[in-house]
Amino acid sequence: MSKFRYRIIPQGAADGIVPLNLVYIDKKDIDAAGISAFDACKAVGKALGDDCAAVNVMDMDAITVTSDGIVADGAVVALAAVDHAMMNKVFGFMNVSEITYSDKVIKDEPHMKQWLEDCYKGRKLFRGPNTQDRGERSSHNENMSMTGRIVNNNTGSETMNVVDMTEILIPFFGQYEIMTGGEVLIGIAGPVVSVGIGMVVSERHGRIFGSDNLGSYRAGMTAHNSGVFAKTVKQDYPVIASKKSVLAEYTLRALDIGLVPGKDIGSSPAVLSLAKAYGKPIAFDNITERAWIELESVGITRQWLKEAVKPMSRSEIIAHADEIIPGVENGKVYKVSDLVEFKEAEA
Amino acid sequence: MKLMHTKLPDFYKKIKAAAKKLRPDTDFEVRGLESFKTAKLASLRVGRVEDEIFEITQDPGVKKVEVIAVPYNPESMFTIVVKGIQEDGSCKKAILENMYVSAPTEENELFGVKEIDDRRTGNRQ
Repeated sequence: MSKFRYRIIPQGAADGIVPLNLVYIDKKDIDAAGISAFDACKAVGKALGDDCAAVNVMDMDAITVTSDGIVADGAVVALAAVDHAMMNKVFGFMNVSEITYSDKVIKDEPHMKQWLEDCYKGRKLFRGPNTQDRGERSSHNENMSMTGRIVNNNTGSETMNVVDMTEILIPFFGQYEIMTGGEVLIGIAGPVVSVGIGMVVSERHGRIFGSDNLGSYRAGMTAHNSGVFAKTVKQDYPVIASKKSVLAEYTLRALDIGLVPGKDIGSSPAVLSLAKAYGKPIAFDNITERAWIELESVGITRQWLKEAVKPMSRSEIIAHADEIIPGVENGKVYKVSDLVEFKEAEA
Repeated sequence: MKLMHTKLPDFYKKIKAAAKKLRPDTDFEVRGLESFKTAKLASLRVGRVEDEIFEITQDPGVKKVEVIAVPYNPESMFTIVVKGIQEDGSCKKAILENMYVSAPTEENELFGVKEIDDRRTGNRQ
């Protein structure tokens, strides 16, 4: 038996906003102890006793891709749901296999041109599970692990207690900040984020969608396809995001290499607002009418986006990210060190 | 062929009888299959469940037997059929839609259980 450390943001953290335990295991910590991700997740479940948690195993040397199609540092490489020291034998744990580099990935998924950039080149990519990882989940809508009360969904970025119906979103940049001991913006997701998370890109083995075939939702489309109701989907649920300046930095990298919102990367309010501020093109005609209905329902109108504005510089945008990027209601910045407890488990 | 299959109403009768076989005053509850008005179950498996119920009652401390059917796959995809019914009871139009129903796994029924004897068939982690 070997010991390893894990991070936990306990239920009730952030002035009571966090509704359930969130556990993050750094792959480096379990590799050093010779423990598999599966055994580590089970061990965390045992360590928590009667409590329940969503558990993500993170490889911070790898890269992943957000639902907007923006590459991020770090990746979820396994996810689990644990409750009362149990992890469901079939559905409780899911591995996320590496997506190996090929020219076909870049050709078929234009947003993946980011992988050719110096800061990402040569790094391992993990997004969502392949068919083998999904196992018996072929009928499932999205990529999730389930045990008892907990469903850990969308490759570890949406987690819920399906008995008391509480839920929290942890978009990937929020997880990056948790793992690097930075700062997080915690608030209520609200209507803008609700619309934004539906504006996905087409990928194989994406965090949310995509099997061995390219996902049927491409940039410019809405996966929610719910008209004016899309803004309600997460409007009352908490979210742990990064500060908007962090989101801006990573999104600007994609805009810098000529990726176009609505054509190559997702047409979320955040990405569109940044493109407008930066003076970068938007594929207006490639964004579907169904997507526009959702965008316009939260004030992201074609007219507003086409307004002539003096483009801001990169540093100006990052400095003013809070004003430029809409979304998250009543957000408050927390130091991760004030939220995360480091604990030990044995496997 | 008749013996290979057990009708759902007979399943309910059999498992209740198994629960009360050793001590007739044993309380009994079955739940989880309420939405099935009719179904066929494999008799060999029904027989195993009957034996396992009888086995559970061997503990003299057992006052009640609960039998709970939990979907193996905790997220089930349903087809929702919306039908408009005419005055004469006929249906001219139906609209079909997908629905995913995510429900707690079987672990939800096992909180605090000291010994879990998993005799399910099939390959598992």
